[in-house]
Amino acid sequence: MMAPRRTVAVVTILVAALVAPIGAYLKLGTRVQSRTESLRWRNFPVRYFITNTGIPLVTQQQFQASVGRAFATWHAVETATTSSEFVGFVQASPFVSDGASVLGFLNRPEQDRTLAATTFTVDTTDGRILESDIFFNSVFPWSVAETGGTDRFDIESIALHEIGHLFGLSHSALGETEMITGGRRVIAAEAVMFPIAFSRGNISDRTLKPDDIAGISDLYGTSTFTRDFGSISGRVTKNGRGVKGAHVVSFDPRDGSLVGGFTLNDAGDFVIAGLLPGPHILRAEPLDDGDLTSFFDDGFGADVDFRVTFHDRIVAVPKGGGARNVEIKVTPK
Amino acid sequence: MTLRSVSVFLTAIILAAAAPAIAQPSRGSWEVSGGGVFVGGFDLGSATAELTSNTGTSGGPFTYFDTDNRVDPGTGFLGRIGFYLTRSLAIESGIRYTQPKLKARISGDTEGAQNITAEETFSQYVFDGSAVWHFRGSGAGRGGLTPFVFGGAGYLRELHEGDALVEEGVEYHGGGGVKWWLGARGRMGVRAEAGLSIRDGGFDFDDKRRVVPVAAGSFFWVF
Repeated sequence: MMAPRRTVAVVTILVAALVAPIGAYLKLGTRVQSRTESLRWRNFPVRYFITNTGIPLVTQQQFQASVGRAFATWHAVETATTSSEFVGFVQASPFVSDGASVLGFLNRPEQDRTLAATTFTVDTTDGRILESDIFFNSVFPWSVAETGGTDRFDIESIALHEIGHLFGLSHSALGETEMITGGRRVIAAEAVMFPIAFSRGNISDRTLKPDDIAGISDLYGTSTFTRDFGSISGRVTKNGRGVKGAHVVSFDPRDGSLVGGFTLNDAGDFVIAGLLPGPHILRAEPLDDGDLTSFFDDGFGADVDFRVTFHDRIVAVPKGGGARNVEIKVTPK
Repeated sequence: MTLRSVSVFLTAIILAAAAPAIAQPSRGSWEVSGGGVFVGGFDLGSATAELTSNTGTSGGPFTYFDTDNRVDPGTGFLGRIGFYLTRSLAIESGIRYTQPKLKARISGDTEGAQNITAEETFSQYVFDGSAVWHFRGSGAGRGGLTPFVFGGAGYLRELHEGDALVEEGVEYHGGGGVKWWLGARGRMGVRAEAGLSIRDGGFDFDDKRRVVPVAAGSFFWVF
């Protein structure tokens, strides 16, 4: 029997003040021969440890409580099945490939735009996640206050984002940013998995958004999710040819939810799953105002030369099925 | 009442009873009809795609884009079969099919996308039953008019494009109309009617009852 090849995926997922906006959920994946396998846990509960080191104003117990609440928020998604178990405090630090998933603080002053990051050890034969560590950069001021700490980043909010990565989600692009001195600042976002964190003191990201829920449900969906939700698939084309790297957002005017997807190949194919049945409005936009590496590997080759475009048809999503062959025609800038 | 007026009244009854029976549907008659129908639209209101604003921004949700939504009026076909319980009272069962359009006017995009109106045509079926009360009018001979009122309820079934999504509800209706008899023997004519249709369920953005006007014109045959 072939032993699984264990590889530390170089998926350094940053919650920083640098990258760009626009959005929807994206799953992390690994190439297995000619196909891409989603990174996902096959065995639950996910057992995790907390580094036995606190920082000023945050004890390891307080840190563990915040992380526990963040895990619980993901577990509470009714259309997905996930679970976790806090095993105990350890001396081990995150980012050591030791078979144990460890969350804790590290002092990384050189990463002055990285609040936290997640790494994986995966079985590259099938995408199974074997270990995932999360570090929080102790260079920044942190808070565990119930209503958020003034001028401090909220651990629970950032933990919720990083645990989304731990479960296999990549970044959403559902947000808008602006350039400020030294990088980008988020103006607004509608996904916890948006790559740029809200400002200090903000605790909005303690609550999952429809885009996050669709993403986790796509990975670990219950039978209810499969039965009661639907998807939209199709292509984004420009002059008859596929557009790679377009961001496609689905808007449900009945409940206001926004869920997105990306075109991931040269044909411009996209799939957006986890949608409530009913009419949806589609919007395609280029990822032209930020760092593409927040979403794709280097050299992905996203086409950003097209105008933001709404699809001229309202798309009806069926219950438990898919609306297929949707074509969103965009024009060059 | 005077003796003279009683006499006139009795004479009228006797004359009416002696009129030819073929000029009026009677108990046990059947009526089939088919024609075109118009169903009014309704406003679905506006829906805004919003993002959660960051601290220190202008406050309130951030508008991604706006939509104004409505169901446009639709036209289609209807068919009915009715049975006369009495000369005045009939019961009917029928089907109504229309193809209204759902329209969403999209504007105010945060990145300046061109405003457009996105559309979807869906199929609407109503399988209903009604009671119809006919007034005497001017008789069922050629050129005669028979006014009527009706009321009933039905099953509403709507299929979105591709027929992959079905939405169901209940429909209630009421109104009035007139039958214009074309043949001398009271067998056929033209039927025009208008009324209100109250829909509860089916396709909507809110859990609301919608009241829309309905008008129809059809040919009918009595046998």
